[in-house]
Amino acid sequence: MADAGARDLCERLAPGQPLARAEGVSFFYGEGESRFQVLFDIGLEIPPGQLVVMTGPSGSGKTTLLTLIGALRSLQEGRVEVLGHDLAGLDPAGLVRVRREIGFIFQMHNLFEALSAYENVKMALQLAGRRTAADMRARGVAMLDRLGLGARIDQKPRALSGGQRQRVAIARALANRPKLILADEPTAALDPDSTRNVVHLFKELTVEEGTAILMVTHDHRIIELADRLLHMVDGRIVSDIILNDALRICEFLKDVDAFKALTPNELTHVAERMKKRHYMTDEIVIREGETGHELFLISEGEVKVERGGREVARLGSGEFFGESALLSGNPRNATVVAMHPLEAYVLGEEDFHAAIAASVSFREQLRRVYFLRH
Amino acid sequence: MTIAIAPSTRSVPLAWRNLLSNKRRLARAVAGIGFAVLLMLVQLGFKQGFFDASLGVVRQLDGAIIVMHATKYRFGSEDPFPRADLAKAPNVAGVASVTPLYASWLHFFWKSPADGKSYLVQVFAFDPDDPPFLLPAVRADSARLKAPDAVIVDRLARPFLGMASGARATELNGHPVQIVGSFALGPDFMSDGTVMMSAASYARLLTDNRASAASLPIEFGVIKLRPGSDVGAVERGLRAALPAGVRILSKRQLEEFETDFQANLSSAGPIFWMGALVGFIVGMLISYQVIYTDLADQLPQYATLKGMGYNTFYLLRVVFAQAALSAAAAYVPAWLLCLVVYRVIGDVALLPLHMTAMQTLISFALTLGMCLLSAAFAIRRVVALDPAEVF
Repeated sequence: MADAGARDLCERLAPGQPLARAEGVSFFYGEGESRFQVLFDIGLEIPPGQLVVMTGPSGSGKTTLLTLIGALRSLQEGRVEVLGHDLAGLDPAGLVRVRREIGFIFQMHNLFEALSAYENVKMALQLAGRRTAADMRARGVAMLDRLGLGARIDQKPRALSGGQRQRVAIARALANRPKLILADEPTAALDPDSTRNVVHLFKELTVEEGTAILMVTHDHRIIELADRLLHMVDGRIVSDIILNDALRICEFLKDVDAFKALTPNELTHVAERMKKRHYMTDEIVIREGETGHELFLISEGEVKVERGGREVARLGSGEFFGESALLSGNPRNATVVAMHPLEAYVLGEEDFHAAIAASVSFREQLRRVYFLRH
Repeated sequence: MTIAIAPSTRSVPLAWRNLLSNKRRLARAVAGIGFAVLLMLVQLGFKQGFFDASLGVVRQLDGAIIVMHATKYRFGSEDPFPRADLAKAPNVAGVASVTPLYASWLHFFWKSPADGKSYLVQVFAFDPDDPPFLLPAVRADSARLKAPDAVIVDRLARPFLGMASGARATELNGHPVQIVGSFALGPDFMSDGTVMMSAASYARLLTDNRASAASLPIEFGVIKLRPGSDVGAVERGLRAALPAGVRILSKRQLEEFETDFQANLSSAGPIFWMGALVGFIVGMLISYQVIYTDLADQLPQYATLKGMGYNTFYLLRVVFAQAALSAAAAYVPAWLLCLVVYRVIGDVALLPLHMTAMQTLISFALTLGMCLLSAAFAIRRVVALDPAEVF
């Protein structure tokens, strides 16, 4: 799935363009003696196209963080930017506008009991303005249909099961195709089929429309599909792991000098074709004199480069080797040995040449390194 | 601000849906606010009924101008003036007729055919050929009053007087009298029943035959005008012609004179005003409580609206529309029920209660106002707080 339509994967990491960004956010409940801190100096960036899952024990501040980013709660300390707006600098009318651009799926569903499933969705649709009744009906029905509620369009929440209500709430949040979706346990009441359906819808939105989704959930079926996993404990983000391999490679590549000049598109192209490979200590990665077919990029570990049995260089994380044989067509001019357990991203010959052909800057970067080493 | 009363096709009629969706909540609102409306209307009705009753006789006087003693402070205070004071009235330009009206509130004891006890009654006496009342029955039966000691009685008088019992004879001040007819006037808060007779019978019963009617002082001079005459001009003419000891009022002025006494000088007026005021206050508190509870239940819904990106204006619009719809939904049945209650009270208490446009308007405006105010109070929290704090 890592490459399922991940056309602009690396674009998701393009700096300066996150859809949501938190910086130094702290939050307290209560006053005076009973003042209680629930968030501690949270920093977080959510780029377009990422499905970010947030886990953590109850009371760890997940919902609070979600509502802060969703402009549903006033900031106390720190800074939150959402869809290009600095929330602290917005007046109430500005906050109203930001909320309209966010799809928030509430933990308690918060459906309007007096309205039918469709009317609940319409409450969101009519906010977008200048839509005809027929257009709204078509969109609302399509969204409900997509979530398997086609037969329940005119039923009120009271007549629906917990899972159906939750799906109506999801339909309402997604109806306007928001660029940012914030969801609090959106699948808690869903059966496995509905969950799969909902998760695939989320995934589709991230991949095809670049929607960013920040979701509190403990549902493993969602975590498996997440691009990134945040874990919160006692008001702090204690881990922030990128689960998607291609995404992780992108993350890595963008900090490597040779790849810096690539456009996100080209970077994605390279990242998607790289394979992760592991070597044990003292294992030989390439041998002098053999024909070279692959380029190696060190992700973790260190290697020594030997020419004629003599060590000539050591390379570490973020450095690459093997380009020489690929560029010149000659046999390997050195032996490379892993000094510690090594994790490397490997790019095949064809993909290497394709990448070079695609990017003038990449070719020049490689040549520069090539000449520096010779 | 437009309030969507009926569902529109364009946007979701949230207030309307909220009103109708929860039948129990609707029933609670209709019952609660409806009771408040009923309370207001009944108190207003009592007040109105009291003033109406006090004007009952005045309105039945058949004359455009009424002459009475200058020191008289209310219609029913016994304060007669010499009949001779009216002597010059017929000569005043525009005057068609002058009818002396004798009245007594303090001197006639009616023996009730119902229980045989004697009760003080209101008595009017006049020339049977020229009855100064508009009551059709009085005009029809007045000829029969020419018989000695013949009286006609108010069949709507309080039942203990037995005036509607069908008895043909009883006693007034110990003298036997013949009941020769009846009319429909109704009691007021001062007198329980009314008896009418000829001036001759009046003189006989009051003075035990010692004085003639002509020598007795009268309570009112009831003056009819020639067609086309100007009331103001005739009044001025009468003032010039009659002695200074009499007061000359148009019928309208007499009604105002009486209302002014009841409202401002009597103890009953303020009591009824107070009743109406308490009715309003209690009614408004009930409305407030009902609407507040109603909306408090739905606060998370309104917070959700805010969270979705609806502005405060929309929020207020929905809440006010919902409150106004609740008020209207409760008002209509309560108003109809009130007509029944008026009827029942009218029958039991013999107090004529009428629904007037003014009562309807005042009570509806107060109900609506209170419901809107309660809505504003209830929603204050949602407007002030962040949406996440209300969920």
